[in-house]
Amino acid sequence: MSQPAANKNDASIEQELYKKREKIYPREVHGIFAALRLLAMGALLGIYYGLPWINWDGHQAVLFDLPARKFHIFGLTFWPQDFFYLSMLLIIAAIALFMFTALAGRLWCGYACPQTVWTEIYMWIEQKIEGGSKKQKKRDKGPRDASYFVVKGTKHGAWLLFSLWTGFTFVGYFTPIQELWTSFLSWNLGPWETFWIFFYGFATYGNAGFMREQVCIYMCPYARFQSAMFDHDTLVISYDEKRGNPRGSRKRGTPSANVGLGDCIDCGLCVQVCPVGIDIRDGLQYQCIGCAACIDVCDDVMDKMGYPRGLVKYTTENSLQGKPTKIIRPRIWVYISILSIVSAGLMYGLLTRIPLEVDIIRDRNVLYTETDMGLVQNVYNLKLINMDAQPQRFRLSVSGLEGLQVIGQTEGIEIDSGAVIDLPLRIEIDPIALKSTSSEIMFHIESEITPDLSIDEHARFLGPVSR
Amino acid sequence: MSTLPASAPDKNQLPVLQQIVSVMWPSFLTASLATIIFFTLFDPAELGMIGGFPDLTRMGGYTIGFFCFWLLTSISCALTCYFRRPMNRRTPDTHSNEA
Repeated sequence: MSQPAANKNDASIEQELYKKREKIYPREVHGIFAALRLLAMGALLGIYYGLPWINWDGHQAVLFDLPARKFHIFGLTFWPQDFFYLSMLLIIAAIALFMFTALAGRLWCGYACPQTVWTEIYMWIEQKIEGGSKKQKKRDKGPRDASYFVVKGTKHGAWLLFSLWTGFTFVGYFTPIQELWTSFLSWNLGPWETFWIFFYGFATYGNAGFMREQVCIYMCPYARFQSAMFDHDTLVISYDEKRGNPRGSRKRGTPSANVGLGDCIDCGLCVQVCPVGIDIRDGLQYQCIGCAACIDVCDDVMDKMGYPRGLVKYTTENSLQGKPTKIIRPRIWVYISILSIVSAGLMYGLLTRIPLEVDIIRDRNVLYTETDMGLVQNVYNLKLINMDAQPQRFRLSVSGLEGLQVIGQTEGIEIDSGAVIDLPLRIEIDPIALKSTSSEIMFHIESEITPDLSIDEHARFLGPVSR
Repeated sequence: MSTLPASAPDKNQLPVLQQIVSVMWPSFLTASLATIIFFTLFDPAELGMIGGFPDLTRMGGYTIGFFCFWLLTSISCALTCYFRRPMNRRTPDTHSNEA
């Protein structure tokens, strides 16, 4: 009965949302999933705002130090050369996202997406200042009097302050936050820092305060392709049409059979709590972010009516059609195995990572020179990068040709943490030892401090062939 | 033919704001990606030296780089958006009515 009307609405929403968006006033909701969402929100926001302030070994624990071009993540320091690890991490994140989507739909959207999390906190601020959804609606329709502007002004003030703090924290991940805070207090921020604080703050203010569900509907690429990962065994939030229809109101505690209706009392609360403004009873819709607010509110109503819970619940398409459903299915196992292989690879890579990088550059101007003593000489320039978190001292040896001699510093080569040094070296050899015009030699560089830290690097030695 | 107003909304046409978003947003995403990859390989301070801006800080380099990428990617998105519009089959002068 209410279905045709809803469909008509859908079409008009499609056309109008961008021209003139109807503001959605989601009602507050309490329940298991609301508590879970609150927990996720608290944890994620806590991590976001708190993490940059934690110190580790005398430096900021998590700092993507762009000005110095190195990333600190607790005890590890990453360099642009370590891009490989970052890409591995992104692959892991992507596969995990696919797995969770196949398992239970838009878990990411409902609980963990920054867009959802910030929208929730902005709505929370809105509700604290403006009151519940009914009050908000009434105020927006009411006169533009002094109290209207005071309330709205307070809300936007609070939002803006929060945005500013968000932007500040964001920049604090890229430049040391303690210093940033000091210069912020003395109003002495650099132009780029200031710009990014305002840019990110403004984006947060706009996205969480105004754009909200439109970001998910129109801007999010994941929202568009996530349905490709769904199958008939994916857990989705669904209204049990067989049980609910026909809908209709009745007195509290009346068994549905007595009034010839389904269990849905058509109270419309599931629509009122929806942050994207859809009716879950119309079936799975692409706007649904899977926040489960409708489950909570409907369970509450079912309790009050004395009906069993779960008229709206997490369920699979198969079980809705009365077919057997298997949630942990081969598809999930495939995701789990790929995930474990890639994660193990990353762990192995990190554990065996050598925090030393060596570039050997041969002098390009001269192939080789012959000394007064009749020896053949090659000139090399070594570029050593200490990617370790502590200063290092290295020693160096060269092998591969019999009787070669290294002229230059080979011991006690000191490099600060994160520093790069150039080390010019000459290698001399009696031409009798040369079997071809180009021979392979091996540079072996090892730490004098850390036992297992060493690296081997190949290079070519050029010279005349002796006859 | 004159009953059809010139500004009749084309059903295949996206609303203006959505068009803007469909240009600015994908270009933002790809520009972010390009910035990450580009500056992993090249140090903005060194690029500044070569390009004749020795005073350029790294933060400045990243910022300018990002916005240059965004400009380029948004141009390509805008062109895509422009070219996918159907070609007008009749010129405004001919009064032949197909509808």
